[in-house]
Amino acid sequence: MTLTSRALWRDARRHPWQWILAVLGVALGVAVVVAVDLANHSASRAFGLSLEAVSGKATHQIEATGPGGLDEALFTRLRMAGIRPSAPVVEGHVRVDGETFPLLGLEPFSEAPFRSHLTGVLDPAARELVSRPDTLALSRGLARRLGVEAGDSLTVTAASGRHVLRVGAILESSAPGVEGLLLTDIATAQVLLGRVGRLDRIDLILPEGSDPDALLAGFLPPGARVLETGAREQSARQLTRAFHINLTAMSLLALLVGGFLIYNTLMFAVLRRQALLAALRTLGVTRAEIFRLVLLEATVLALLGGVPGLLLGLLVGQGLVHLVTRTINDLYFVLSVTGLHVSPWLLLKGLGLGLGAAWIAALAPAWEAARTRPREGLRRSGLERRAHRLMPWLALAGVALILAGYALVPASQGLVAGFIALFLMIMGYSLLVPLGVWLLSRLLARPLGGVLGITGRLAARGLGAALSRTGVAVAALTVAVSATVGVGIMVDSFRTTVQGWLGHTLQSALYVTSPAPGDERAGSLLPEGVMERVGAVAEVAAFSTGRRIRVASSHGDVDLFVMDPAPASFEGFRFRAGSPAQAWPRWQAGEALLVSEPFAWHHRVSVGDELKLHTPKGERVFPVAGIYQDYGSQQGVVLMARDLYEQLWDERRVGSLGVYLAPGVEVSTGVEAVRRALADLPESSGPVLVTAAAEIREASMEIFDRTFAITHVLRLLTVGVAFVGILSALMALQLERAREHAVLRATGMTAGQVTGLVTLQGALLGLAAGLLAIPLGMMMADVLIDVINRRSFGWSMQQHVPPGVLVEAVWLAVIAALLAGLRPAWRMGRVRPAQALREE
Amino acid sequence: MTDSPLIELHAVTRRYGEGQQARRVLDRVDARVMPGEIVALLGRSGCGKSTLLNLISGIDLPDSGRVLVEGLDIARLDERARTLFRRHRIGFIYQFFNLIPTLTVAENVALPLELVGRRDGGEVARLLDRVGLAGRGDEDPDRLSGGEQQRVALARALIHAPSVILADEPTGNLDAETGAQVMDLLKGLVRGQGATLVLVTHSAEVASVADRVWRLTDGRIHDQRDETP
Repeated sequence: MTLTSRALWRDARRHPWQWILAVLGVALGVAVVVAVDLANHSASRAFGLSLEAVSGKATHQIEATGPGGLDEALFTRLRMAGIRPSAPVVEGHVRVDGETFPLLGLEPFSEAPFRSHLTGVLDPAARELVSRPDTLALSRGLARRLGVEAGDSLTVTAASGRHVLRVGAILESSAPGVEGLLLTDIATAQVLLGRVGRLDRIDLILPEGSDPDALLAGFLPPGARVLETGAREQSARQLTRAFHINLTAMSLLALLVGGFLIYNTLMFAVLRRQALLAALRTLGVTRAEIFRLVLLEATVLALLGGVPGLLLGLLVGQGLVHLVTRTINDLYFVLSVTGLHVSPWLLLKGLGLGLGAAWIAALAPAWEAARTRPREGLRRSGLERRAHRLMPWLALAGVALILAGYALVPASQGLVAGFIALFLMIMGYSLLVPLGVWLLSRLLARPLGGVLGITGRLAARGLGAALSRTGVAVAALTVAVSATVGVGIMVDSFRTTVQGWLGHTLQSALYVTSPAPGDERAGSLLPEGVMERVGAVAEVAAFSTGRRIRVASSHGDVDLFVMDPAPASFEGFRFRAGSPAQAWPRWQAGEALLVSEPFAWHHRVSVGDELKLHTPKGERVFPVAGIYQDYGSQQGVVLMARDLYEQLWDERRVGSLGVYLAPGVEVSTGVEAVRRALADLPESSGPVLVTAAAEIREASMEIFDRTFAITHVLRLLTVGVAFVGILSALMALQLERAREHAVLRATGMTAGQVTGLVTLQGALLGLAAGLLAIPLGMMMADVLIDVINRRSFGWSMQQHVPPGVLVEAVWLAVIAALLAGLRPAWRMGRVRPAQALREE
Repeated sequence: MTDSPLIELHAVTRRYGEGQQARRVLDRVDARVMPGEIVALLGRSGCGKSTLLNLISGIDLPDSGRVLVEGLDIARLDERARTLFRRHRIGFIYQFFNLIPTLTVAENVALPLELVGRRDGGEVARLLDRVGLAGRGDEDPDRLSGGEQQRVALARALIHAPSVILADEPTGNLDAETGAQVMDLLKGLVRGQGATLVLVTHSAEVASVADRVWRLTDGRIHDQRDETP
């Protein structure tokens, strides 16, 4: 180590807390990024493995474009025509003990070329599965989890009702993706899922370079298509992409705050060492050498914080992966993550991001250090004059950056552009902060002087007088605190909007649904006879019917919600585009479709555009008559009238009923009456749930809060980093003022007065940061709502500013500032003035 | 001593402030210092003495005129070249010592040596011995008295054998007796190395060690030798 760098390093040893806090900030920032990355990566890998487990070595898959599935005779025809290897598959979901598991129905004798990892162990079990109906196989891990052994019975709830199955075999395979699966013979799966005689898909291994359409020409019936295996995975991955991006962005916010912490530490170190730097410059150390030294300090900080950050990230990641999986299960599809996937690349990336953030954060302090003129650093007044001269120019540049950010928002619809706009605004606002601090100090000097005398006046003026120091500190605190305000407002606005939407969308008094998990294409189904029985209940005035299916369209697979609304149901829809008065009659007549807001956003569809649907009657084109508000689906839905659906699909079954009660009938009485009417449904037809709308609202909000649990955890971690930042900034600032306080003591201020002054100065800094964080936080919320909700999911919403979040911001800043001021206040109250004067 | 001057100032002007407020601290100053000479610069506070030192060392640049050191026109060098020039040719001594508090006494002295890329072949210990601080090399500078700190500063200014030593009120922060000791030491070391010393001081006694005394008044240098009847 050269003497020049040794001179700077030893300074770190003299002020260890500054550097320890900065290292802690980097560690937390890196930990959050690594943890989120790890959770995302593990979930994504688990998803890939589970698809691999069920798809095996299939190169192509024949599947239906609608909810009915494929006729199993197609498989026989293909085999007879010599198209093999081929294997039929029935897949869906069943519930065991309230948990949902994927069910895979296979035909063991066709399986060998496809899923060798299953059939290898299935050989003895395969005979068992085929020879005895109502038998299933499952992995050793899952058997342990469900507490069953081979030969035990297991009760499952499926689309066709409740069934008791025998555990025929335990799979000892450790093949990835098998862990969460339930395996049955294809006939058993057909019975369980209510699809006797139907297949979900036929897996194929086609020779490389062959044309599947030409090969299968003449075999594929209307409503069937052949797809490459990867296409299914791709479309499922697309679903969760925005969710993963947003988590990553949230974690980067924590890193950004960590970056400010590094900036803060280095900037203070530079300011504090002005004299030292000036002496070095006089002795002939060049600007470039000083610049490199400060960057080197940042590198060491990043490495010291980065390595423990990685370890902490691995720990936090274990907790986060459960939250991520739960959200995916709540919102997208059933996923079971059995292990963390830690790749060296992921760790390198975490460390690299920490280093990158440290270098970017160190640029300004390094530049400030490099421009230190020989000897000039000894004069603080020069620095202050420069800070005051710069203040209006900085403010102007800040306004320009904020405007540039706002201009960028509508210029592009991309997520990344949105986050760049956000960054520009944060940087711009930081440049406005010194002006804000100066104005605040002028504003507060008189009232504080009136109440607290000289101590109050000194504390208020100190804010503005030492702008070169306070400006930077308050800017860093402001950004950290505003991040919590922005995220808080975003989540609260979303919650309030969803709550309002649930309020008006759940128009019915109660809902009748099936608890059995539906399959991907046909959706959940109510048993036969439910509609008739509910219609006959005296307390029921009317009901609407609904069913969600997945169909192929000109925009890929889309969710179709088929509805026969009761007269009052129309009230539940809020149109974002199109006129309800014109749209509803056309929709009811089967001439047009409606689409939800997210659907319109993702597929760039406007009112008047056309949508092509693949139906068993061939392709049909419909105009879009209106776009309505909906937060129930992230990918969006297409709304179709039931009459039209029945006509095109020849299907009459429904998935749910929304029941309106006769005037004067209490909801609880209605629920009881409907339950009584459904009590004599045959057991084999499967259970039916009758739920009051209020309960559904409650359960929906529970899912909402669960979805944002991870956001709250990340926010909490960001606040943690911010807190460390505040602490670090204030400790540095008070350290800087040691001489000023010593002069006051020497002039005759008592120890108590100096302690009070230091405490008050800390509180004022916190107050300034807290107050200045509010406008920035609101601006951030504006962009976050646009970027996260609008761009990722297509949800629009009103900004709702909860007073609690704002009070929390000011409180957080002031409390942290007071806490940070404790040690310096205690120290300054006790230090001998002569010693402090000499130390300087 | 050769015939060509080591430091030359040609019509050097330096102003501070702008417009009506502008104050000319150096006004078309011409001066030269021969190699090995010791020149003392006297004048009232704020008359431009330190500015002159800053111009010679390249820390500051003249508004007009030329400053030549060893024939090198300082104003024509870029910032990095001026820094490197200072690193190799100049040794600085300040009133408030300006030792690096985070380096030990020996490390402070060794710093210029390291900056010019030379290894310490025992010079640091020898020089510390000469300034009376033998065995104190491992101590922190703030443990030393003012006189001792200034002696460390002398050693640091001379260790890399620069051609010019610039001393800005080197005894201004010391008592008379210690100041006199430091000046004796400085003179001895400068003479021993054949360096040139430009010394800013308020004290006529300190100025007495110089070969020549300049008085700076109204932005002009008056060489007292020239004024001697």
